[in-house]
Amino acid sequence: MKAIEIENLDVSINSKDILKGINLELGEGKFLGIVGPNGSGKTTLLRAIIGIIRPTSGTVRIFEASPFEAIQKGIFGYLPQSQKIEINFPARAIDVVIMGIYSRLGMLKWPSRQDIDRAEEMLSIMDMAGLENEPFSNLSGGQQQRVSIARALINNPRILILDEPSTGIDVVGQEDFYHLLKGLQKKLNLTIIMVSHDIGAVTSYVDEIACLNKTLHYHGSPMGALNDAVIKQLYGKHVDIMMHTELCEKCERLHSERKH
Amino acid sequence: MKNAKGFIANANIKIMFEIFSYGFMQRALLTGAVLAIFSGIISVFIVLRRVSFLGSGISHAAFGGVSIGFLLGVNPLITALIYSTVVAFGIEQISTKGRLAEDTAIGIFFSSSMALGIVLVGLSPSYNVDLFGYLFGSILAITNEDALIAVFVTIFLMGIIFAIMKELYFITFNEELAFVSGIKVRLIKSIFLLSMAIAIVVGIKLVGIILISALLVIPGATAHLLTKRFYRMVFISCLISLFSTISGIIISYRLNLAPGGTIVLMLSVTFFIAFFNKALNNA
Repeated sequence: MKAIEIENLDVSINSKDILKGINLELGEGKFLGIVGPNGSGKTTLLRAIIGIIRPTSGTVRIFEASPFEAIQKGIFGYLPQSQKIEINFPARAIDVVIMGIYSRLGMLKWPSRQDIDRAEEMLSIMDMAGLENEPFSNLSGGQQQRVSIARALINNPRILILDEPSTGIDVVGQEDFYHLLKGLQKKLNLTIIMVSHDIGAVTSYVDEIACLNKTLHYHGSPMGALNDAVIKQLYGKHVDIMMHTELCEKCERLHSERKH
Repeated sequence: MKNAKGFIANANIKIMFEIFSYGFMQRALLTGAVLAIFSGIISVFIVLRRVSFLGSGISHAAFGGVSIGFLLGVNPLITALIYSTVVAFGIEQISTKGRLAEDTAIGIFFSSSMALGIVLVGLSPSYNVDLFGYLFGSILAITNEDALIAVFVTIFLMGIIFAIMKELYFITFNEELAFVSGIKVRLIKSIFLLSMAIAIVVGIKLVGIILISALLVIPGATAHLLTKRFYRMVFISCLISLFSTISGIIISYRLNLAPGGTIVLMLSVTFFIAFFNKALNNA
């Protein structure tokens, strides 16, 4: 079954075309990276998929349902580009994870002991055990992302959507983060869509890549995106892509995990 | 010494009985108590959502609604409620659709509503308009009907806010995340805006249009200084609001001061105590 089917999607905001004629399909359990320069419409495409933005024309189907129905079914786990959290916001790491089940609980129902245990388990999976009671705003960028993934996954979503998740995380932290995502994809048969501006880093981890700059210039295997013609179309000029090779320690870890 | 202490205690008990024996004080204390708890809850969300200026804008806009009531000869609180609700949703709509920044939209509604109020009061056929009472509060003006409506409406709304509290908390944390998670963001935000408008109108006679925004901001701001846990923040905010309102009413009676101003000064004192206490602890 297709996780995502997008047909002839156009999005205009304030009479300005942001996305034009997007056609894209993604199978269940696949990891898709969406890359493109700043202002290319990557975030808009994600927001159209999760129903925050209504398309001007065209359709988006999520497991054969509309984005609205998909939200009601709890299909999405989502990490936005910027958390925009107030510095002293009164929320501990565990509070943030538990927020993920509020919709399922419904009004006037409060998290049970089992829900709290599950939230602690999710934090533990994300290597965040022992930091449950730490104020969320005190955590580092990488730790906040791990807590946010725990929140996104607590409700067993089928699709995880991430918008520039590595922003604010150092290079080593980014590698660990992508590695974590790859592991979750395999373990949970999770469909992942991740927006990134870092084409080099993304190609090492994703199954498919979509190169976007208002229209979709390329959708296919990650290596195909490194074609000079595609890069020129995408960025308007030649760009040197730095990517991970088999000599890279993290990539070696990735390859050895794949062999297992 | 023992006799002196006993005399003072007896005198205090006598004064308290005297305070509670007056109908206007009973009504003021009852209305004040429910309003204080309700505004204590709402205040937490106003502070965390950083919409303090919205509270101030809606309360000042209520003056336009009050003056329409004077002009039409109907209960000004009813017209103020309708007008404030329309203004609250108007500001929300304009700023959400990105046509104007929220503070600009508030600034425009705020000043035009005050201007409308001044013009309409001038046109009002009534000669005994208690304008000062509406602007700065007048506990003598709280009728039995006002107190009963305030208590029932506020308790009803408190129940609703309690029912949606965790959803409101999630929306306050991040609206987009809450939406994608399946929370009915528009409905919850609408209930919140309506609650703000009602809290303002209920508080008009007690504290006045000019000062009611203090009840919507200071308890939450003070509680925010004292804890980093959400539900504790709500509890502390309600306690501060209740303590300041009740003590403000009693002190204003004993010292013959303006009750609205005394309540807000009590709130301000608790805020600055918490503020300097935190500053000293962090030093």
